[in-house]
Amino acid sequence: MVSASMYIAQDKLTTTLDELAKKFELWVPVAAMEKQRVVRFMPYQAGMEPVLAEQSGLGPKNALLPQVETLLKFSYRKDVDDPGQKRLQLEAPEPPKQALIFGARPCDARGFLIFDQVFSHGPYVDDIYTARRETTLIATLVCLDEDAACFCSSVGSGPADMEGSDLRLTPIAGGYVVEALNDRAQPVMEVLAEPASEIQLAAARKVQEEAAQRRVGGADLTQSRASFLKRFEDMGYWREMVSQCLSCGICTYVCPTCYCFSITDEMKEDRGERIRSWDSCMFYTYTAEASGHNPRPTRLERYRNRVGHKFGYFPEKYQGMIACCGCGRCIRGCPVSIDIRRVAENLKESSDACA
Amino acid sequence: MKTSLTTELHEKIREVFTELELMIGWEAGFDALHTTPVFIRSADDVGRLTWGLLCAQNLTTYLGKDLTLMAAARESNKKIGICVKGCDSRSIVGLIQDRLIERDRLYIIGLPCQGVIDWKKVAARMPISGISSVRIAGQEVIIEGAAGERRFDLQELLARRCLRCLYPNPLISDCVVGETVAPRVKKQDVHQDVAKIEGLSLQDRLAFWQQELDRCLRCYACRNACPFCICQDRCIAETRDPKWLSQYVKLPEKFLFHFIHAMHLAGRCTECGECERVCPMDIPVTLIKEELNKITAELLDYEAGLDVNAVPPLVTFNPSETGL
Amino acid sequence: MTQTDSAPAEARALTIIGFLCNWCSYGGADTAGVCRFKQPTDLRVIRVPCTGRMDPLFIAKALIKGADGVLVSGCHPKDCHYAVGNLYARRRLEVLKRFLPFMGIDERRFHYTWVSASEGQRWQQVVTDFSEQIRKLGHNPGVDGATRPYAGPGSSQPLKIIELARAL
Repeated sequence: MVSASMYIAQDKLTTTLDELAKKFELWVPVAAMEKQRVVRFMPYQAGMEPVLAEQSGLGPKNALLPQVETLLKFSYRKDVDDPGQKRLQLEAPEPPKQALIFGARPCDARGFLIFDQVFSHGPYVDDIYTARRETTLIATLVCLDEDAACFCSSVGSGPADMEGSDLRLTPIAGGYVVEALNDRAQPVMEVLAEPASEIQLAAARKVQEEAAQRRVGGADLTQSRASFLKRFEDMGYWREMVSQCLSCGICTYVCPTCYCFSITDEMKEDRGERIRSWDSCMFYTYTAEASGHNPRPTRLERYRNRVGHKFGYFPEKYQGMIACCGCGRCIRGCPVSIDIRRVAENLKESSDACA
Repeated sequence: MKTSLTTELHEKIREVFTELELMIGWEAGFDALHTTPVFIRSADDVGRLTWGLLCAQNLTTYLGKDLTLMAAARESNKKIGICVKGCDSRSIVGLIQDRLIERDRLYIIGLPCQGVIDWKKVAARMPISGISSVRIAGQEVIIEGAAGERRFDLQELLARRCLRCLYPNPLISDCVVGETVAPRVKKQDVHQDVAKIEGLSLQDRLAFWQQELDRCLRCYACRNACPFCICQDRCIAETRDPKWLSQYVKLPEKFLFHFIHAMHLAGRCTECGECERVCPMDIPVTLIKEELNKITAELLDYEAGLDVNAVPPLVTFNPSETGL
Repeated sequence: MTQTDSAPAEARALTIIGFLCNWCSYGGADTAGVCRFKQPTDLRVIRVPCTGRMDPLFIAKALIKGADGVLVSGCHPKDCHYAVGNLYARRRLEVLKRFLPFMGIDERRFHYTWVSASEGQRWQQVVTDFSEQIRKLGHNPGVDGATRPYAGPGSSQPLKIIELARAL
């Protein structure tokens, strides 16, 4: 009978991860050896030191929606009996392995909830994403590390929000208390060696309660749809707010909730792969049409679309769920420090002068 | 981060504001370590502008790419005001050389610059959550953090591009705010960083770039931040017709993208260092252009962004040159 | 293509791409053919109107994608069919040649030269010499590195390169 809560001491963390890696494809946040300030989720290898005391620059999005993913492989072979004909052979990708994302934050897990709406809830179900989702467990930290760019509470989440997670990791002095949040988590709990003591559990409860009380972020942004639609035509507003945008792709790439993709066939001679790759609504080509017309010709229209999607169109379609988790990565990563909170908050000002 | 220079900047701009369609400058960002570019269209908003060691962004990138700016200035017969540091002013000279902007339509405020700090270097030395102020005192940077005051040598926090800067004073301007600054390096030392790569064997050089470019996401921030990459919307790295690069994010694609970006800048890059600053993966991409500039200087005796009348060497020829 | 990618590396023919200007160098290659001069067959010719049309990125892409060698040949400077095309070209190609080694690509895999339409013998020499040079260098390893992520310990990356990156 596996205990409901276990404990991982800080100095036993890497050996625990070594054990978990035998059973799961393990994703952990690590600093690049050559550039210690770059922290991103990568497949774990023995000897890696996970970075759990600060938010990663690039979250675990790659674990469920890889930047480049093979949808199918194809090849044209000459028919032996009829050389004039070519037969098409298709090969489905390998089924996903059991995976565990260790050290996510509530904002990272929330991104996957948004993906689920789009990829798994129908009417068209994406088998590849769904298969990966079903075989992946998420162990999420109770977050104690907010900074000036964080705003998870403003979008309906919070530092203790465990929705969509399978395990809760609570940092206490000396280590982490690990709790299973559902039955799917049992295979992970079975690997852990040390049950949590009463004192450790009590310390964890205290941390969780404090985190649940803490509000991270300013004004509530969950009811912005109507004011967005009112502002849609007001190009003066968008010019005032986002003229400095460079129209690169950083915000969409680091965003846990951004899921737009391109599908391309990459061929060499008679064989190739159909791949899905991350696209960005900030790129000029995003809405470029085959006729040559582009309804979003400048960065102003494209940024407007980004805000509209996150705070307007997506909640309209998916029962009010905001397509933003308040992680602040877009703010930190933006080369010109555009603050999406400011753009969303000021939507409701009726005059065109904005702070 | 109000300083007397900021006040002087406000006064200068207010004096000339009636001649301007708008003024491009910096204002305070989302926290004490960041500024953000701002387009001031009303004299009432001039007080939002700031100037100091956090003003890292090269504002000239908007001049060549946002065609509405020059169009608006022509229509109202006014000028585009812009704040530039030494490196940024070189970009303006380069843009004029490339015939991408009209000098007469600009009102350039030149700002002699002691350098800008790299916030990632601050983050490597102290927790950035809770920083409430950053200011400079002589050659020291004083940062007020959650756990109290910390002091650092300016040299320690400067961006790499500032450590090798030969042109801290504006090369072109309509007015100057601030005292002349002496360059930090001598001309013979500007290539110390590329020399470190050059000193490696061929295999090690390849291994270095494989290591660095492995982190590249093809986010195109470096390209979009560059004042000279004006064809970013139709970049050959992204077009489908012709299709030069696949969508893969493997090393051959990333090498080729960086080759495309760098070769299109050969003879044009003014080493403002924005490409490296904006990279979310901390890839030292300016090194690639520094090497190309070193080659252009040795081979063709030319540096971009110094003389508005010079013709970039790779768009012209010399029938009597030898050695090629 | 004489052999597929699945043939063993040593048996695979070298892939040397030649960009020849239509007027002088292509003519020179024709002359070599008419005079029946023998030369190695590894060179695959792509005809361009003028070396002035050469974008240095063609060469970069070929080498990054795994071509073993790239040769560019045009009219002699001041004898360009279009008057000045090759004068632009020689600047751009020389800059590229000096730049390739910085990124870890062997610049000996790229050579540019000038061959006129009557110089059949010279063309034979150029092709023979360059093919021999590429044969000595062997197949192009390309830029694809180890698949192990560099973030991991146990990476085969030399420590000094990791430290160089950290110091920058």
